[in-house]
Amino acid sequence: MGDGVAASELDVLRGTLDLLILKALSWGPRHGYAIAEWIGAITDSALLVEEGTLYPALHRLERRGWLQSEWGVSGNNRKAKFYRLSARGRSQLRAETSSWHRYVEAVSKALRASAPSPA
Amino acid sequence: VTGGWRRAFRLGGRDRLHRDVDDELAFHLAMRAQRLVEAGRTPDEARAEALRQFGDVGAIRADCLTEDQNRERTMHRADVFDAVRRDVTYAWRSLRRQPGFSLVVTLTLGIGIGATTAIFSLVDAVLLRPLPVAHPEQLVAIGDPSRVSSMSEGSTVNTELYSVPLYRDLRDGTRSLSGMFASGRSGHLDVRVPERAGATTAVERARARFVSGSYFQVLGIRAAAGRVFTAADDRDVDAEPVIVISDGYWRRRFAADPRVIGRVMMLNDAPVTIIGVTPPGFTGEIVGQSQDFWMPLGLLAQVQPAYGWADDRSISWLLVMGRLAPGVTMGRARTEIAQVVKQALAEHAASAMDPGDVTRARQAEVPVTSGARGFSRLRSTFGQPLVLLMAGVGLVLLIVCANVANLLLARATVRQGEMAVRLALGAARGRLVRQLLTEAVVLAIVGGALGVLVAWWGSTALVRLASPAEAPIPVGARIDARVLLFASLVSLGTVALFGLFPALRSTRVGLSEALKRRTRGAAGSTLGRGGSRFAAGKLLVAAQVALSVLLLVGAGLLVRSIVTLQRTDVGYDRDGLFIVSVDARGGGYMDDRAALLAEQMERRMRAIPGVQDVTYSENGLFAGTESGTTLQVEGFTAEAEDDTTAAYDHVGPGYFHAVGARLVRGRDIEARDVSGAPRVAVINAAMASFFFPTSDPIGRTVTIDSLTYQIVGVVQDLKDHSLRETPIRRLYMPYQQRGGSIGTLTFIVRMDPRMPTAAKAARDAVAATDPDLGIYEIGWLTDLMRDSIREDVTLARLAGFFAVLALVLAAIGLYGLVSYTIVRRTSEFGLRMALGAAPANVLTLVLRESLVLMAAGLAIGLPASLAAARVIRGQLYEVSVVDPLTIAVVTVVLALSATIAALVPASRAARVAPLEALRHE
Repeated sequence: MGDGVAASELDVLRGTLDLLILKALSWGPRHGYAIAEWIGAITDSALLVEEGTLYPALHRLERRGWLQSEWGVSGNNRKAKFYRLSARGRSQLRAETSSWHRYVEAVSKALRASAPSPA
Repeated sequence: VTGGWRRAFRLGGRDRLHRDVDDELAFHLAMRAQRLVEAGRTPDEARAEALRQFGDVGAIRADCLTEDQNRERTMHRADVFDAVRRDVTYAWRSLRRQPGFSLVVTLTLGIGIGATTAIFSLVDAVLLRPLPVAHPEQLVAIGDPSRVSSMSEGSTVNTELYSVPLYRDLRDGTRSLSGMFASGRSGHLDVRVPERAGATTAVERARARFVSGSYFQVLGIRAAAGRVFTAADDRDVDAEPVIVISDGYWRRRFAADPRVIGRVMMLNDAPVTIIGVTPPGFTGEIVGQSQDFWMPLGLLAQVQPAYGWADDRSISWLLVMGRLAPGVTMGRARTEIAQVVKQALAEHAASAMDPGDVTRARQAEVPVTSGARGFSRLRSTFGQPLVLLMAGVGLVLLIVCANVANLLLARATVRQGEMAVRLALGAARGRLVRQLLTEAVVLAIVGGALGVLVAWWGSTALVRLASPAEAPIPVGARIDARVLLFASLVSLGTVALFGLFPALRSTRVGLSEALKRRTRGAAGSTLGRGGSRFAAGKLLVAAQVALSVLLLVGAGLLVRSIVTLQRTDVGYDRDGLFIVSVDARGGGYMDDRAALLAEQMERRMRAIPGVQDVTYSENGLFAGTESGTTLQVEGFTAEAEDDTTAAYDHVGPGYFHAVGARLVRGRDIEARDVSGAPRVAVINAAMASFFFPTSDPIGRTVTIDSLTYQIVGVVQDLKDHSLRETPIRRLYMPYQQRGGSIGTLTFIVRMDPRMPTAAKAARDAVAATDPDLGIYEIGWLTDLMRDSIREDVTLARLAGFFAVLALVLAAIGLYGLVSYTIVRRTSEFGLRMALGAAPANVLTLVLRESLVLMAAGLAIGLPASLAAARVIRGQLYEVSVVDPLTIAVVTVVLALSATIAALVPASRAARVAPLEALRHE
């Protein structure tokens, strides 16, 4: 893989992953493992090839102030770190969702075009 | 289980962040493995599969940690910022609650920092700062650097000032300097700036110097516009008449007109072209005297054609400056320059057949000093006093620090109770210390800001204060950032130190002890433990009073000295005398024509309405020139070499009557004493008592240059040229018998001092007689006299300024101390009043204590000031170092200040209601 391709692919992946994390937390607090499970189920494991990559993303979003974390007890009585959307995280989710839709729409429209546009 | 996973991946957590990340990752791996086991894998397989699905654990862990550490750092910064803001807000509120304390500390800091910086800026500008030219340390000054506006005529042997030919000899003979220039004063300059060629326009005044063509090149100054002089501009033959103007003159006179290059100005009616403007900040090589323009020596022939300054070896008027050649030491240059100068002087004396001059030339001292700080008259007159003032500045800064420390200590003591309560309520000690320190820093910053303002305003004000005339001395005393920084750092350091020390101290107290002491305080025994520090505070205030006494006495003596000088009996009636000193060199007046000129002008001046009397003399009064001679007196044998010297003047008829001098014996110079009549002279009392201690001088004779004069009168001693003058032997001969050519001629006109048109009328009279005559000096005699003591006035003003400053600071210090003691003793006062003391008794108690302090300060300060006054004895005139009047005034001023400083807080103490006071604290 060339470096340029790798980098741009990574950027897209990272942006998408951030958006999915925010979405995963929009229904309430979850720990990392639950988020990974949800993303895996929803994307047929296409996005999260290596589950570990989820964690740096979580910590990054927390640093940005979009997530808050606290230690709690998981369903099977284990100590786990739970993440929750902050107010800023919630508005970020709204903003990114709508821009994602616009982006996808634009790309789809372009791909649906049957002939080059008249000059 | 999680711990097992952590061990399995060697995730050894070191701190909380590491542990959290490790726990989180371990939880994920454990959950995934468990799910795989549930799906039927063996535990070992499940573990391996979980790790595979997870990816690079080490890299992921590192990434998470980096994010977390960044987050922690940001949060920490925000926390600190928040805490500081809280502390500052709290400190501000706390200081606002005690406006008196805060105001006093801020004012003390502000005045201290500001005044220190301002005075230092002045000292720096006059004494310390090198010229604003490239590599000033390489410059060498040749001649007496204080004689910037002098001219010496008569002897060719002069090493303090140089004639043009001697400068050329020096320049051509010296190897140790890479370049050399000469500069000298101008004679009278009438400046006209016509808007276009030939237009008539008013005469203006400007300050300018003649310089050699190498001037700018040696100083390393390039033109900001146009060009500077080259060696070619220097030659007197066929030189294009050009000048270079200063940036200041360009802005002031030409409104910074960019087309000024090429404009023609008229200097004494000679047209000269402006060829360049110097860069801003360059005012010449003379400190305290900024030039409007510079003229090359070559212009002498056009601007001052009759003066003979350009080629006469007996007219010395130049100062010389050179730049050391690479690798040459000052010592070597000094040796070589002295040798070249002496050689040139001796050769000339030899060719003039003057063996006495040859000897004098060989023995002459040639002053060669560092030229880094330029030439300056201010330096020699103000040098020592300014150094003294600097010492005063240092002391003032010390006082400021001490005062602030005292106040902070006082406040900390007062607040020990508050601190104890806060500690008891569970406040952390570090937090309280930080709080107290913050208060100190806030005070320091506000005080520092005030200091900058005071320094800014003060440096301008000081220069104006130091300048006796309307125009400030252009020393360019701008606030020096380094000095400001220094003064601020010292004060801030003080605040920090004396903020921290009591902060630590007052928060270290054992709780029960402090609380106990608080209750004991109500019983009036507060002075127990704080006693020693209280004594230190008293000592400090006494020391401040002593310093104020020192400065006040110094200033008082200087002021007294000036008043005495101004009132000193000059021997004639100075009021209403107007002086017009004329430069008659240009007209070629000789013998009878010279005598006629004086007569004609006298007649014209008499015709001016309001003029009561007119006389004239060669040197006049306070007009700047003086003559001396050796003489032989009939029947007198000289014992020492200077026994036969005397000063002299040639005076017009009725001279002593006109100036209002009293004749002791004989008669005035009269109209009959003309050329051809018997030569006569009037001598002064000093001369009479020296040569004729026992006999009557009338009718005796003196011989000067083989001409014999008969003494016809004795006049009381007159102060002709200086108020400080001690009587010297002087004789007056009739101007009309003088003969020869004349240089200057001074008219002394008695007229109504309220006549505003005096100057114009006198000038017109001169012009009507001969329009080519220049005017050297014109003005009321009293103004000329005041001018002659301007250095004294300046010094007295500066000393006065400092004395007042010290007094204010001492008063503040006393105020602070008294307020502090009163707060400490409020409960004691309450008790006293409860037991029947009247408020007046409390007032007296406090006042008496401050007056005792003041007396102690006086007791130290007065003897010290007597010792210190010896340093300024040279500046004093007919005032004893022990001057009862000064001491009395100083004592009264101090007593008043001390009373006022103490009365304010004391009256507050006396108003306190007994009950409230007992409840206090």
